[in-house]
Amino acid sequence: MEAKWTKRMKKRTRKRSDDQQIRSKRKAMAHRRTSGSKLLMTVLYMVASCSAVPISDLLDRASQGSDKLHSLSTTLTQVLDSHFPPIGRVITPRPSTCHTSSLHTPNDKAQALQVSESDLLSLARSLLAAWVDPLVVLSASVNTLPHPAQSSISNKIQELQQHSKSLGDGLDIISGKMGPAAQAISTLPYRGGNDIGQDKISKLINFHFLMSCFRRDSHKIDSFLKVLRCRAAKMQPEMC
Amino acid sequence: MTVCTRMRGHLGLALLLLLSAAVESNSMSPPGKPVLLGCRSPEKETFTCWWEPGSDGGLKTTHRLFYERERLEGKHECPDYRSAGRNSCFFDRDHTSIWVDYHLTVVASNELGNTTSDIFKMDVMEIVKPNTPENVTLLVMKREDNLYLHVRWEPPYNTDTKSGWVTIKYELRVKQEKSNEWKEYTSGTETHINLYNINPGTLYAVQVRCRLDHGSWSEWSNSTSVNTPDYPHNEKLFWILVSMLSAVPFITAMCILVMKRKNVKQYLLPPVPGPKIRGVDVQLLKRGRSEDVINALIINQSFPPMVAWKDQIEEYLIVSDDGLLLDPSSSQKRKKSLIIPAGFHLDLGIQCKEPTPVQRDLQKAEERKNEMDNFVKANTSLTEGNLSDMEPPQPPTQKQLFPIASFVKTTDQSPSKHNSAAENTVKPLANCGYVDIQRHENAKEVDVIEVDYSRVKEVSGDNILILQRGNIPGYMDIQRQKENIPEDYSRVKEVDGDNKVLLQRQNASTDSSCREKGNHYTDCTNQKLRNPHVTGPSKVGVCTELIGSGYVDTIPAPPLM
Repeated sequence: MEAKWTKRMKKRTRKRSDDQQIRSKRKAMAHRRTSGSKLLMTVLYMVASCSAVPISDLLDRASQGSDKLHSLSTTLTQVLDSHFPPIGRVITPRPSTCHTSSLHTPNDKAQALQVSESDLLSLARSLLAAWVDPLVVLSASVNTLPHPAQSSISNKIQELQQHSKSLGDGLDIISGKMGPAAQAISTLPYRGGNDIGQDKISKLINFHFLMSCFRRDSHKIDSFLKVLRCRAAKMQPEMC
Repeated sequence: MTVCTRMRGHLGLALLLLLSAAVESNSMSPPGKPVLLGCRSPEKETFTCWWEPGSDGGLKTTHRLFYERERLEGKHECPDYRSAGRNSCFFDRDHTSIWVDYHLTVVASNELGNTTSDIFKMDVMEIVKPNTPENVTLLVMKREDNLYLHVRWEPPYNTDTKSGWVTIKYELRVKQEKSNEWKEYTSGTETHINLYNINPGTLYAVQVRCRLDHGSWSEWSNSTSVNTPDYPHNEKLFWILVSMLSAVPFITAMCILVMKRKNVKQYLLPPVPGPKIRGVDVQLLKRGRSEDVINALIINQSFPPMVAWKDQIEEYLIVSDDGLLLDPSSSQKRKKSLIIPAGFHLDLGIQCKEPTPVQRDLQKAEERKNEMDNFVKANTSLTEGNLSDMEPPQPPTQKQLFPIASFVKTTDQSPSKHNSAAENTVKPLANCGYVDIQRHENAKEVDVIEVDYSRVKEVSGDNILILQRGNIPGYMDIQRQKENIPEDYSRVKEVDGDNKVLLQRQNASTDSSCREKGNHYTDCTNQKLRNPHVTGPSKVGVCTELIGSGYVDTIPAPPLM
């Protein structure tokens, strides 16, 4: 009896120890698995969060850039207006002759709010792209501009170019996120040639005219982007 | 003739001119040219233009505004002349387009004619100027004891803030009551702001304005004012009161402490007791009277009474041929009496030995001032002239030299004499006869010199004394004995020759009367010597009757013998 009993006891203890070993092994494995999976999950989450910058933030950044662009162009035109020959107001070309006027853009709020986001973005990008060349021409001809504030104008032109470039790059990224419709750009070639005039007055007038066209287009870009931003950030009314 | 016609033509012209002038002065003319003052779009959706009419020419003139617009064919007239007031044209949403040029003209017309103003070119984008912000509220707020102004407003009337078509940026300015300077802050697109650097107790005025995109700023809103409270002042008062009230008991406490500082000092710093020796009075020591100090220091110490031996000055025997020699001077000096024991055998035939040590002893004895007048005198008396010089006794062969020396008393006679005596000691030493022997070697607590005398039995030769053994009552110096030393007087048994005295042996018996101090041995003798011839143990004090010798004082041997 006793022998049996001891045998049973031995068996039980052995089994218990075996069970314990198995359990511990399992635990270790599970722990490893969970830790590994946890690690993987965290890595994925980080990657996702890093790459998934919300579009509203991107648009916010873009609209800040466009705002800056517009303010620069506004000050530039004001500077140019301060030293403008009176006759220039008479013989200045009409804004309809801006090279970007062929682009059909909304002209009031109602129309603008009806345009889709991708169209708005496309318009903005088209306009911005249309001014790359003219800005180059302007920056080249500003050195000979017969204006008292010629150096500051020159600096501002350069700034304009930089901002325009960075904004264009940002808009390209945003358009990449918004789908193929946003990718279409209307080309608006500049046909003004490489110089803006021969004599002083024509230079001034042409410069002024180009800047006024640019001011209008920068305002359009700014407005479109801000509408887009407001529309993208529906949960954040302070964006509007 | 041609000159006249020419003149007539000129006159006609002049008349016509005059007439036209007259007509004009009658205020009947076509209207003056109106002037377009400007246009304004408050929200980028509508705009209004105003003109200034010219003179009306005295007639009712009407003004009409016509515009041409880019991308719009034809000339159009103002859609609304009323909404914006007189001489204005209001373009509503349907008629407003942005990013297109407008060419505006105003035509004033009356019965006499029309007048067209200059063309005014504008784009809505350029004329945007919003309304002033609305409901500007100003509140004084408090956070953690900091005061700040909270300014809040609302967007201008009719401005779209929901679609993003316009972006409003605000600006405010603040002014304190007394100064004229405004401080400007940009709020951005927020419609509230907190101003932290404000002072209490002043009146603040605030104004807000705004701008759309990068257009023109609106007008400043109406000034809103608020008074900031004076809290810290009140708090200061409170704390001043508190400190004053608490200072009063504090000051009283300090006064009490200062007045009673001694008590406080005693209480806080009790004096440390100094060391105390029982029986010693520190004050006494300080005062420093020596006897008192000594008395204080010495505690119940009882010394033995002074010098018992003083009381026991024995009468000394002066033995001389001439009788008793009373040497008063010597008696004064005498401190010690010479005691010759009964067994004293004065053998003057003995030669004294070694005069030089004796001489020394003599000198010493001199110094000591112990007088042994009796003995010396006795010697002198016995030797009859040979004893003129003091003979130091012969030192005994046995023991002490010194005791003998002590007995070698110097009298008041001059030391020179002694010395001379010393020189001549050889001879007369033969005559000196007593020998000092210290017999009692047992410790008897002798303070003083124990002196013993042995009877000389026989003298053999020049140097040898044979002493008698036996119960010779040696005598002790009286000094050591406190007890009543029995005094005895020995009767002189026999006188042999010139130098010899044979004494009778006597028993010890005290005779206190003989211990009288001083010189009055005669008294003693008187008392005792009644029976000079009594033999035996009776005391006999032989005094004056002795021939050639006085009586001899004997002290019987102590019982220990």
